[in-house]
Amino acid sequence: MQLSDKNIISDMRTAYGKTLVELGLKYPNIICVGADTTDSLKTKMFGDKFPNRLYNVGIAEANLVSIAAGLAIAGKVVFASTYAAFLPGRCLDQIRNAICYPFLDVKLVVSHAGLTVGPDGASHQQIEDISIMRSLPNMRVLVPSDSVSVRNLIPLLSNTPGPFFMRLARPSNSNIYDDTFEQFDIGKGNVIKDGSDITMISCGLMVSKAIDAALTLEKEYAVSCRVIDMYSIKPIDVELVYHAAVDTGAIVTIEEHSIIGGLGSAVCEVTAENHPVPVNRMGVGDTFGESARETEIESLLSKYGLSSDHVIESVLKTRKRMKK
Amino acid sequence: MALKMRYLELNRKIRDVRMLAIQGIAEAGSGHPGASFSAAEIMGVLYFHKMKHNSSRPLWEERDYFVNSKAHSAPGFYAALATAGYIDTKEIKTLRKLGSRLQGHPVRYSERQKDHSFPGIEYSGGSEGIGLSVSIGIALAKKRDGQKNRVYTLIGDGESNEGQIWEAAMAASKFKLDNLVAILDRNKIQQDGFTEEIMPLDPVRDKWAAFNWNVVEVNGHKIEQIIDALSRVERVEDKPSIIIANTTKGKGIKHMANNPQWHGKAPPKKHVPILLEELQSEILIAPSIIAGEPENYEEKVRRAERAGADLIHLDIMDGKFVPTTSFFADTIKHLRKISSIPFDAHLMIEKPINHVEDYIDAGCDIITVHVEACSEAEFVEINKMILKAGISPGIAINPETQFPSWIIEHLDNIDIMIIMSVNPGFAGQKFIPDTLDKMAEIVKTLKSNNYKGFIEADGGIDATTLQQVFDAGARIMVAGNAVYGSPDINSNIIQLRHKANVAIETKLLELATINDMRSDWIKSRKNMLIPLAKELSIEEDLHAIK
Repeated sequence: MQLSDKNIISDMRTAYGKTLVELGLKYPNIICVGADTTDSLKTKMFGDKFPNRLYNVGIAEANLVSIAAGLAIAGKVVFASTYAAFLPGRCLDQIRNAICYPFLDVKLVVSHAGLTVGPDGASHQQIEDISIMRSLPNMRVLVPSDSVSVRNLIPLLSNTPGPFFMRLARPSNSNIYDDTFEQFDIGKGNVIKDGSDITMISCGLMVSKAIDAALTLEKEYAVSCRVIDMYSIKPIDVELVYHAAVDTGAIVTIEEHSIIGGLGSAVCEVTAENHPVPVNRMGVGDTFGESARETEIESLLSKYGLSSDHVIESVLKTRKRMKK
Repeated sequence: MALKMRYLELNRKIRDVRMLAIQGIAEAGSGHPGASFSAAEIMGVLYFHKMKHNSSRPLWEERDYFVNSKAHSAPGFYAALATAGYIDTKEIKTLRKLGSRLQGHPVRYSERQKDHSFPGIEYSGGSEGIGLSVSIGIALAKKRDGQKNRVYTLIGDGESNEGQIWEAAMAASKFKLDNLVAILDRNKIQQDGFTEEIMPLDPVRDKWAAFNWNVVEVNGHKIEQIIDALSRVERVEDKPSIIIANTTKGKGIKHMANNPQWHGKAPPKKHVPILLEELQSEILIAPSIIAGEPENYEEKVRRAERAGADLIHLDIMDGKFVPTTSFFADTIKHLRKISSIPFDAHLMIEKPINHVEDYIDAGCDIITVHVEACSEAEFVEINKMILKAGISPGIAINPETQFPSWIIEHLDNIDIMIIMSVNPGFAGQKFIPDTLDKMAEIVKTLKSNNYKGFIEADGGIDATTLQQVFDAGARIMVAGNAVYGSPDINSNIIQLRHKANVAIETKLLELATINDMRSDWIKSRKNMLIPLAKELSIEEDLHAIK
């Protein structure tokens, strides 16, 4: 695994915008649609490069999704983007009926997902999107962990027929992968670090929490941890989860999302039916988040149980549940 | 305003759509007859006249798109697609059944949905308020690629409660989508009741105008008005257009019409034969403008149209084939400018083959020539010219003339047959009762040869004779003096319509009685029948029901 050895900080949205521009040069049938958030989502970069290929529909998410469907009916590959808070929840009906049911080439790429959107508070902290989107037939759900992942996944989305939902986070973060790493595929996860005593399966910004916790666990507790970046939550990498269960006997999932219906649930579905082992799902409990200034993001995560220390605690507890 | 429409064929195909839809709904035991029927003319005009499409090449790149946003009109939509050749008409009977390609609400055809859809369905509807936005997407793509495809979207008035309709209204005018036409099926009824009680939509015209759309209002059951509006909106640039089609929910079946109860209910299967008969019994009234005061044709056309006439019958007499002279193509050309109502031209002239072109150019929608005035070869030639012009051809026969057997060979190309009940040449003649037997006999011959067109009764048709010619098989009534003979044209047409209703109800009642469901039928149609109780002699039946 080629991991980033330097501390490169980047943001996923800029990677999204840049990749769209590159794709746009190659494929004239790519079109973007935005809803008054094109600057924030970086689709404006695409619009600046291709002025007649970005449509801004204003603050009208239902329209955003449905116009995207129409463009796809007319043969376009459409990227529709706005904040996570407003897309899956507000437009579930349009996503379901106008995009998923007819299996159209609409790629919903949303940003500002999870608690880390920060000061805007719970109305903007989308923590149910994976769960909602995962339940829709024909929908695929991706949660990249850094800008290298985004850069590699966007072309896959673009070239794979049918609908996708991809969630990005607002803050910049340290790259997980080396800039040259290219091993991404729909329905796959990446083993970031191998280990034998337990597996941590995470996605998005929480992958770095898992890595941090794994290092501490090995050094201080002599627990060998396997760390998986499960960027493809639907379809999920069944084989990878199965082997984690068989090889390490316990799993902890970590996601910046409700513990109901997200990555943790998806992993449990695989283990329960294939190789039951103790699984602890870490995420936001059955509750709403709250505001926190940008300097307080780590404390916010901690308050809702998503710090590295919480991960360590969870791993140790889960190991105790293992049958001797 | 020549519309180049084969009016009678359109009319017949739209009737076929209603007949298919009601069979599908009855077979399924559920579905939405009301919305299927209010939009039948709209969908019919789009599929059988206006849209560029090809049922054998559903993915033809140059096709126009139809987005059925108010997708609960699915039975009517499927029936239109079947009539247009996309599927076998028999498949309608699978509607809403397990494993059917005709889902309760249509899903866009794709490899994944090939068992639940068929090529030609562009849009997955069912959740209201989405289709107009989807249409914007299609129109945007076509416009930016410089393609000429047009997008037609049917929306409902109940559907217009959805906020997304108004998001779409804003966006379409922002993007200047002059390749997008929305058609509002303004039937004023939604599931829970009347739209203006559930969620008022008026002033609907002003609303769309305020959103910067080009707005046109039509009677949504008048084929010619829909066609005319669709042509007019094509000339508008930089703006989307909406056609507000004022319609009647359940139009075609009287006890369903304007009745919220029939929004989403299937009729009992046993009623189907009677309902089909009702749909085939529609009577068109065609005032003949040579009747009454001489001249002033313009005023006569205007007044008849306002009074709800279906066609204008134009008696063209040359003083040779018949003893009198009336008017010629130049007069029709002039009249054409004032109205889009179908012109039913009846050429009582010698050598019609030499003059037909003039009447095509003048803007007639139906051109009928006399069997006595041309040979079979000439008729074939004339028929070709008329069909090539895209309008309705017909043939007329005088009371004394024996029905020539060569006509049988050409029935597929005949939209109307005028069976004269007077000797042509003068207005105001008395109906010749003997012609009834002749009409019945001809109708029998035509039926056994699978004739699909109309029979028109011409000569002495009034309130006293209408029912007789209806029973003999006529569905278009030329009315001269009965309309123009006294000054109140409105009342005259209302009186004819009333007689037409009595004739139709009598026939349906007979059918119900034969099929052993007389009281059941009267019960389901009680409200319609009470005002006609005396004329239909059903007072006792009604009393028994109470």
